[in-house]
Amino acid sequence: MRYIIGIGNYSMADDSIGLRIVEHIIQNGLDKGFEAVDIADEGTRLLFYLKYETEKIVLIDAVDLGLAAGEYRLFEPKDVETTKETQELTTHEGDVLKILEFARNLSYPVPLITILGIQPGNLEPGMELSPALQERFDIYLKVALEEIRKDG
Amino acid sequence: MSQNISVNVHHLTRVEGHGNIVVDVRNGKIEKMQWQVPEAPRFFEAMVRGRHYTEVARITSRICGICSIGHTLASVKATENALGIQITPQTFKLRTIIKHAENFDSHVLHIYFLVAPDLFGAPSVFPLVPTHTEVVVRALRMKRLGHEWGSLLGGRTTHPNRVIPGGFAEYPTEAELKNLKQRLINLQPDLDATVQTVLSVADKVPSFERPTEYMALSSDTEYALYDGVIQTVMPDGTKQRWPVAEYRSCTNEYVVPQSTAKYAKNKMGSYMAGALARFNNNYGLLHPEAKKLAEALKFKPLCFNPYMNSVAQLVEVVHSVKDSIRLLDEVLDAGYRPEDLAKPTKSGRGQGAVEVPRGILFHDYGYDNNGMCTGGNCIIPTNQNHGNIQLDLEALVPKLLAAKKDERAIELGLEMLVRAYDPCISCSTHYLKVEFKR
Repeated sequence: MRYIIGIGNYSMADDSIGLRIVEHIIQNGLDKGFEAVDIADEGTRLLFYLKYETEKIVLIDAVDLGLAAGEYRLFEPKDVETTKETQELTTHEGDVLKILEFARNLSYPVPLITILGIQPGNLEPGMELSPALQERFDIYLKVALEEIRKDG
Repeated sequence: MSQNISVNVHHLTRVEGHGNIVVDVRNGKIEKMQWQVPEAPRFFEAMVRGRHYTEVARITSRICGICSIGHTLASVKATENALGIQITPQTFKLRTIIKHAENFDSHVLHIYFLVAPDLFGAPSVFPLVPTHTEVVVRALRMKRLGHEWGSLLGGRTTHPNRVIPGGFAEYPTEAELKNLKQRLINLQPDLDATVQTVLSVADKVPSFERPTEYMALSSDTEYALYDGVIQTVMPDGTKQRWPVAEYRSCTNEYVVPQSTAKYAKNKMGSYMAGALARFNNNYGLLHPEAKKLAEALKFKPLCFNPYMNSVAQLVEVVHSVKDSIRLLDEVLDAGYRPEDLAKPTKSGRGQGAVEVPRGILFHDYGYDNNGMCTGGNCIIPTNQNHGNIQLDLEALVPKLLAAKKDERAIELGLEMLVRAYDPCISCSTHYLKVEFKR
């Protein structure tokens, strides 16, 4: 099984980018050959998709990459180090990299994971994406779909 | 006494959201003692204004990632009340089952991941992985069941999309409901092991009592989670009830200088909401197996120890499993089938209340003749608890000082007290911040 998983807070502007892409995929029936999953701000739920039968996960999240708002990068968890000071394992200010580390320590089967990290422009309360992310929404969608369908 | 104590817990860990504990004691005199909530308002009431009634629950479910089922249910109940929509007995029972799923899931997270580290003497759940592997694996196994239990009925656990005004947009199959029932039956060994784990550390639950008022939904027929009227029980055992429509007269929100969140009070200086409040109000209607556990723990109402809120959550974990098995039997025996959505019959204003993991939750909306929302109000249980937390801290600090506890012990005692309330202050952002390895 393959999954596109969105994580974030829907009501905090660009933090919701992953959720909105997943929502778009589901609403438009684009989830063919994979499942699109919204785990919202409950990062620990990522653990439930780390299964032996999981072939690949594309995780979409707002990521502070030090880029201009709206720019994006595709990378694997092993390519990066988290520099975010987070609380312990709560749903608040979740850090999926720490959840993956937790999973590895518990011998969960961690499949191939690609993160589509998108530089947020606005993380204040709000139900809309910032213009920089709105303009590139179709690009993120295309990249995510290409990535999940790619072999390996 | 010449004790000087300075506690400044900035962004208390293992709670959802940001809260600070500030204590300043000079020469044994408490000069400052504050529970501070510094988070910004999120304006959900403004976001629903002008939205069609079919959209409102989808928006308000986003208030919280843990209680999104509860916000959805409170929202659709308020909308149904405002628009004169009558749901069927099957819908009522299925919604109660999904409410159980949320409380089960959240309580497991709180007991195992947020409270247990204190009782095991660990700073977080991470160090428990090598030392208590089976406990952590069990917790995740139970959480997974909670996740799949909620997803089966709600379409997804986080922000369910099947629960809509008038009923359900989609239904699980009969076979899926039977499978869920079997999985709940099969959970017994994990429930037993959880009880044993809690019993093994029960002596580490601090003993502290401060009588207060306890508010919860209440019903004559069931341990109210999905539906009921407002009830409070006073320290002398006196109970009083109010219709949900009168929630404002019981919550009496007010503002305080140290907090961006509103506080609430009713007959006393503050009241408590949450599992302990439900336990104190509705003990007699717990499932017999849940009562048996409470008796084994020598835990009975009225309990005035706020640290026991986590133990009340454990009792509710058992109740939610057993009561869901009962409800699934009733739904299946009555000839389970998908039902058409019930339709609006009027416009106007309506209220809805449910018991989310952290306590009683109110939603209130007005709708015009076109079904467009004219205004809303949500009162969240964590906000209702802030005043009680403050008064608990004010009562606890002198006791800790009198017991000659050192600064670190006082800090830990206060942190554990706040954590016991399982506060969910707000769900903030979840973005990553990374640097690429060279």
